[in-house]
Amino acid sequence: MFPLMRSILSKTDSDYSDVRYEMKRETVITFNGKELTQISSNSTDGYVLRVLKRGGLSSVAFTRETDADRALRTVEENALLIARHIREPVRFAKTEILRKTVQPSLEEDPRRVSMDEKLELTRGYNSIPLGHEGIVTTITGYSEVIREKYFLNTEGAEIREDLVTTRLSSSITSKVGTLIQNVRLGLGGSQGFRHVRNQEAEFEKKTSICLDLLKAEPVQGRRVNVVLNPSLAGVFTHEAFGHFSEADLIEDSPTLRARMKIGEKFGNEGLNIIDDPTLPGQLGFYQYDDEGVAARPTRLMEKGVLAGRLHSRRTAAAFGEPLSGHCIAEDYRYAPIIRMGNIFIEPGSHTFNDLLGKLGDGLYLLDSMGGETSGENFTFGAQYGYEVEGGRLGKMIRDINISGNLFQTLENIRAVGNDLVLSKVGGCGKGQLNIRSCNGGPHILVHDVVVGGR
Amino acid sequence: MERLMEMAKKVTDGAEIYALDETGDGVGFENGRLKEIESKSQSGVSLRIIKNGNLGFAYTKNLINPEEFLQNALDSLKGKVEAPFEFPFTRPVTPLNTFDPSVERLSNGTLVEECQRICDYLASKTEGQVNVSAGRGTGRIRILNSRGTGVSTTSSVYGLHTSLLFPNSYASIHRPWVHKGFERAPDPYLRFILETYTQSLKEVQMRGGRMKVLFLPETLYALLWRIQSVTNGKNVYQKVSPAAGRLNEKVFDEKLTLYDDPLNDQVPGAREFDDEGVPSRYFPVIDKGVLTQFYYDLYYAGKMGVSATGHGYKSAMWGGEAISFKPSPSLEHLSMKAGGKSFEELLRLMDRGVLIAGVMGAHSGNILNGDFSIGLSPGLYVENGEVLGHIKDAMVAGNIFDTMNHIIELENTFHPASGGMFPAILFDGVSVATKG
Repeated sequence: MFPLMRSILSKTDSDYSDVRYEMKRETVITFNGKELTQISSNSTDGYVLRVLKRGGLSSVAFTRETDADRALRTVEENALLIARHIREPVRFAKTEILRKTVQPSLEEDPRRVSMDEKLELTRGYNSIPLGHEGIVTTITGYSEVIREKYFLNTEGAEIREDLVTTRLSSSITSKVGTLIQNVRLGLGGSQGFRHVRNQEAEFEKKTSICLDLLKAEPVQGRRVNVVLNPSLAGVFTHEAFGHFSEADLIEDSPTLRARMKIGEKFGNEGLNIIDDPTLPGQLGFYQYDDEGVAARPTRLMEKGVLAGRLHSRRTAAAFGEPLSGHCIAEDYRYAPIIRMGNIFIEPGSHTFNDLLGKLGDGLYLLDSMGGETSGENFTFGAQYGYEVEGGRLGKMIRDINISGNLFQTLENIRAVGNDLVLSKVGGCGKGQLNIRSCNGGPHILVHDVVVGGR
Repeated sequence: MERLMEMAKKVTDGAEIYALDETGDGVGFENGRLKEIESKSQSGVSLRIIKNGNLGFAYTKNLINPEEFLQNALDSLKGKVEAPFEFPFTRPVTPLNTFDPSVERLSNGTLVEECQRICDYLASKTEGQVNVSAGRGTGRIRILNSRGTGVSTTSSVYGLHTSLLFPNSYASIHRPWVHKGFERAPDPYLRFILETYTQSLKEVQMRGGRMKVLFLPETLYALLWRIQSVTNGKNVYQKVSPAAGRLNEKVFDEKLTLYDDPLNDQVPGAREFDDEGVPSRYFPVIDKGVLTQFYYDLYYAGKMGVSATGHGYKSAMWGGEAISFKPSPSLEHLSMKAGGKSFEELLRLMDRGVLIAGVMGAHSGNILNGDFSIGLSPGLYVENGEVLGHIKDAMVAGNIFDTMNHIIELENTFHPASGGMFPAILFDGVSVATKG
């Protein structure tokens, strides 16, 4: 592949160019209820070319090798058009020029597991919820995405890295009368097929939660103190804080940029947040980003003080801050953008029971149902929760969405638990989908959040 | 492709080829400055086959080796996915007017100029942060099947999106402008954004409770998503729609008439047929509050023993590669009957309430049940018909079977919005939770 890519790059007339070719192999097995609705294994591929010329940076994505010349003309024209209009020419932070080939270390390579076995495994898991009265349907799927990435730039970098992602997911739906309840489950990760085996207990657990929800009460909309479980702590860290640490999201907002100054204090002493794509075995693992920069652990918050930021080569130069290796594309259809890898709150000292005791009266909320941010404000859903009275878990509640302000919520994180769980499936949609977006944390105690209820 | 079809016909009971070619350019301005230009040119093919009652599926970006491609689809038959349908025979019809050639002549230079013009105009009137993006796209879809169907359609779209952002936030007053061909954004479009922003710039506190809530067209998708879910033939088949069994019942306020209108080629993306080659038609979903019909693709129509309604689309919630998706039931061309009041008149009907100008987390919560619980990004506080400012950390929540029964009135004008062309809608008695 590299010789062909080199010949494309050799035709560019630019200050810097890079080209990425990707072959994406995708296996999908889907059950809707008891019926198998999809089973397929396919490959797709394409090129993304980026050109930096006279301070203008532009990109083009194309499918066919024969379109390379036209793509090249387009992207050079676009780069010049940008160059004529911008005030500050784009510069790239200097990075080590790497020639590397990386194959992931896998506990059981899914490519060596037969389709029949994957199908029967998925069918078996799917039959667990469907075997319970009250469960009306499921969507259960196995998917495997293998990205074979080739990266070349005019500085001499030449990197081949493969990313193998397995995912076992289920959406379980229960119903009584006209009331319908739904929970989700996601397993798998970056480490191979072994991690989707022997997961029957997880399916059993989520099935019984889904059935219990039919008897739960809708939460009352109000302002309340909560304990969030690691899944929700992770979503908060990702949605509310993490996106703010992505340099490309704040660079053109003068108010946000002024607010997110390194050294500024936001949270209490016990709050440490890190993004580390190199954490072995986690969903968000990679060694080199899609600009050929080595990923490195990046401390974002230390003792409540803003300590670092996630960067691309362009933003690292523009901010005058160190490279972090966080510029990642969904696939061959996109130029890379700044993404989180494995982001989490570092564990503190409190046991779960300590946290409930400190909470006193409030809510214990569990498991993410999706979230979104809009600058300093965020919203996310919880799959289920419990009323807490006098530090003791009470009745189950449903229909939970919470909303808050990032800065206030960081201040309102009153205690951090001593456990740590990171997510096994991801799906951050910042223009592009990142299925390896990983987040997590310990249990945390947060004061004063708005719960929407119904 | 014809060769692939001939090969497939010999070894299967039915075959369908879907081919997609797309090009596009996008220009983005942030804080009044040109930030990026991206171009793309993508193509791909997917193949579905039916053999012995089972369905096979394969897709590729480059159809280089038809033998291998067909074999991949044949291999997928082993999983025994049931095919409860046959591919349809569809005659080519008089094409809709879906392609405006001006989009092909549109240069990125012109897109940059148009965005710059809007940034300059807004910057001369407000100190707020201005983000503008513009793009153009063309597409061609061809569908062949073994019953002799051979149809194709081309499309063009020009889109512009203007946002005026509140400080410390991505929350904004924003509105899209979408056409088949290039048309400069007119003054009333820009004035609406500017005036709404100026009125709401101040941050205000308000107490929550049940009150009047006005959804702007660009935020209605949060509610329509739930209606699309409960009327989806797939959810009816799976017995998870609370609307199942309620056909011909009045389920919503009689002011609501909601329909799918794929043949309306005044707007971009009109279609003579869906992604399975089934002919499109005008399709009422809710008629004066009465639930009239559910929508189906070939698969779920087959499962339910009804006719496909022309709603099989290769789309997914989070974008992605169309060729890699199997069709599923989808309302891609929703619209609704407009009401009798101007936007200003609707505002004047609000003694105290919230105008929803942006939403967050519409994908979260119990959608199947029709529940919504969404963050406002932003919500604007209205008293006696006047916007007093914007509120933070607020949510609205409810269930469509309740909320859609409390429509006060719809706006008399359509605006392009996420998912179709819609008017603003004023509801009564919606629960608003706030920090205040």
